[in-house]
Amino acid sequence: MFSKSIFNRVASKAAARTMATAAGTSAKAASSSKFLITGAALAGVTASGLLYADSLTANAMTAAEHGLHSPEFDWPQNGPFETFDHASIRRGYQVYREVCAACHSLDRVAWRTLVGVSHTNSEVKAMAEEFEYDDEPDDDGNPKKRPGKLADNIPGPYPNEQAARAANQGALPPDLSLIVKARHGGSDYIFSLLTGYPEEPPEGVVLPVGANYNPYFPGGSIAMGRVLFDDLVEYEDGTPATTSQMAKDVTQFLNWASEPEHDERKRQGLKAIIILSSLYLLSVWVKKFKWAGIKTRKFTFTPPKPRK
Amino acid sequence: MSFASVYKVLFKRNSIFVGTVFVGAFLFQTTFDSAITKWYENHNKGKLWKDVKARIGAPEEAEDDE
Amino acid sequence: MLSNLVRSPVALRAISKPVAMTTAKMSTTQLLSKSTYRTPDFGDVIKEDRNMDKSRVFSYFMIGSMGLLSSAGAKSTVETFLSSMSASADVLAMAKVEVNLANIPLGKNVVVKWQGKPVFIRHRTPHEIQEANEVDMSSLKDPQTDADRVQNPEWLIMLGICTHLGCVPIGEAGDFGGWFCPCHGSHYDISGRIRKGPAPLNLEIPAYEFNGDKVIVG
Repeated sequence: MFSKSIFNRVASKAAARTMATAAGTSAKAASSSKFLITGAALAGVTASGLLYADSLTANAMTAAEHGLHSPEFDWPQNGPFETFDHASIRRGYQVYREVCAACHSLDRVAWRTLVGVSHTNSEVKAMAEEFEYDDEPDDDGNPKKRPGKLADNIPGPYPNEQAARAANQGALPPDLSLIVKARHGGSDYIFSLLTGYPEEPPEGVVLPVGANYNPYFPGGSIAMGRVLFDDLVEYEDGTPATTSQMAKDVTQFLNWASEPEHDERKRQGLKAIIILSSLYLLSVWVKKFKWAGIKTRKFTFTPPKPRK
Repeated sequence: MSFASVYKVLFKRNSIFVGTVFVGAFLFQTTFDSAITKWYENHNKGKLWKDVKARIGAPEEAEDDE
Repeated sequence: MLSNLVRSPVALRAISKPVAMTTAKMSTTQLLSKSTYRTPDFGDVIKEDRNMDKSRVFSYFMIGSMGLLSSAGAKSTVETFLSSMSASADVLAMAKVEVNLANIPLGKNVVVKWQGKPVFIRHRTPHEIQEANEVDMSSLKDPQTDADRVQNPEWLIMLGICTHLGCVPIGEAGDFGGWFCPCHGSHYDISGRIRKGPAPLNLEIPAYEFNGDKVIVG
C-alpha cells in the first residue's frame, strides 16, 4: 500500500514534468528534442558497451585471486538439529596428532575438553602425560618439568612464533584452534584445501620457491604441501584411511575445536524456539482476549428530547 | 472431570491458580528438558559420544574432569 | 412484552413502593432498576445455552499456560545469570590436584601447589605418629588431637601457610621436629600444631580424599 502510493506519486510527478517540458518546447524545437533524445540514447548504449567490454577483461575478484569457491559438502552437523559425528572427531584427533601436529599448534584447546567428547577420562590423562610442561622451580630455584594434566592446554610443536617461522622457511603455520571459524567457507574450505592439491600446477602458474599450488587457497600459492595420502594413519575402528576420509575426520575435529559448544547450542536452540514460539502464540491469544471487550464495546448517545 | 469442577478446583481461588502455575513451571522445566534431550539424542543416534563410547568398549567411568 | 413490563421502572416502583421510600436500604437490583441508564438487550447475540464453563476454563488455561511458560523462562534466565558467577571450567579443572603417594618415601616431605598455595604432604614414620599422639593436650595453644588432623595417620596433609602472617614454614626444622616459620619464629610439631611462637592456630587442613595410591586435594 505504502510503496504503491509512493510509486504513484513519483510517477505522476515525472509525468507532469515531461508534459511541462513537452508543452514548453513543442512549438519551436521539436526537432532539437529529437536530437537530444538520440544523443542520450547513443551515450547510454556506448557507456553500457564500454562497461560490458571492461567487465570481460576485469581480473579482480577472480577465483585465482580469492581462491576457488569450495563446494558445499554434506557434513554430519548440517541442519538445525544435527550434532557432530563424535566417532569422526575421535578419528580426526588421531589425524591431527599424527599429521597436523607436526607443524600446527592447537593452543586454545585444553586436554580436559576432549573428555566426554571423543575420549574417556583415562585416555586423555594418558595422552596429556606424554607431554612435559614447565613446573614450579625446585627448592634450589632450578626449573623443573612435570607431566601434563587434564587442566593443561594441548602443547604446540614450536616454543614460539620465531621458531615456527624458522622451521617453515618463514611461513607461519596458523594455530588450528579456531581455523574453521577463521576461514570463509569453514569446514567446506578446510576439506577442499586438504584434498584439492593437483598433481601438477596448471600451465602458466609461476610459484615461488618452496610454495605449492592449491586452487582453493587465495592466490593459489600455499606454503603447506599436500600432507594427506591414502593409508597415512591406521584408524583403530578399521575405517579405511583414504585421503578424503582423513580430511573429513580432521575437519570435523577442527570444527569441534572451533565450536565445542555446538551440540549443546543446538539442543538449547530447539528448546528456545519451541518455548518462544508458544509464548508468542499464547500472547497473541491473550491480547485478543483482553482487548475483546474494549474493541467491541459501543457507545450510544440518545440526546434528550428538547422540551417544548 | 467436568469443566465446572476444573474451574472450582484450579481457577476459583487465585492463590491456587498462581501456585499451580509456579509449581507447573518447575515440573515443566524438567520434563520439557528431558523430553527434548531424549528426542535430540534419538535424532542423532550413532553420532553421539555415548554411542562411540559403547562402540570402542570403554569401561564405565566418571566423565567429570578432576 | 411481559418482560418489558416487568423491567419498566414504573412497574417496579409501583411494586416496591415501601422500600423505595428508604433509599439507603435499596438493593443493587433495585438501584439498577431505578437507574435511567438502560442495559441494551443482547438477546440476539447471546448463545441459547448460557453455560460458559468451557470457555471460562479455556481462557484461564490459556492465561495460566502463558504464565507457566513465562515463569519457566524467567527462572532459566535468573539461573543463567547466577551460574555465570560460579567458577568457570578452567578454574574448576585447576581446583583439584592429584598426587601420587607411591613416589613419596617414608619420612619425607613433599610440597605441591594447589590453587597457588603450597600443600605439605608428609609420609610419617610410626615413631612420628606415636610422638604426635603422645603430646599433652593442655600444653597446646590450639588444642587438637592428631586423629582430628589426619584421615590416615601415615599421611599428614596440610596447607603450608603459617597462620601468623602467611609465610611458608620450613620442613624438618624447629624445636618440635616439625616445621619452623623463618619469618617470626613459629614452631610447629609433627602434626602441624603450633607449639611456640606468635602464630595463633595450627596449620590448616585442606579437604582431600584418598583414591588408591593417590590423594586428591580439593
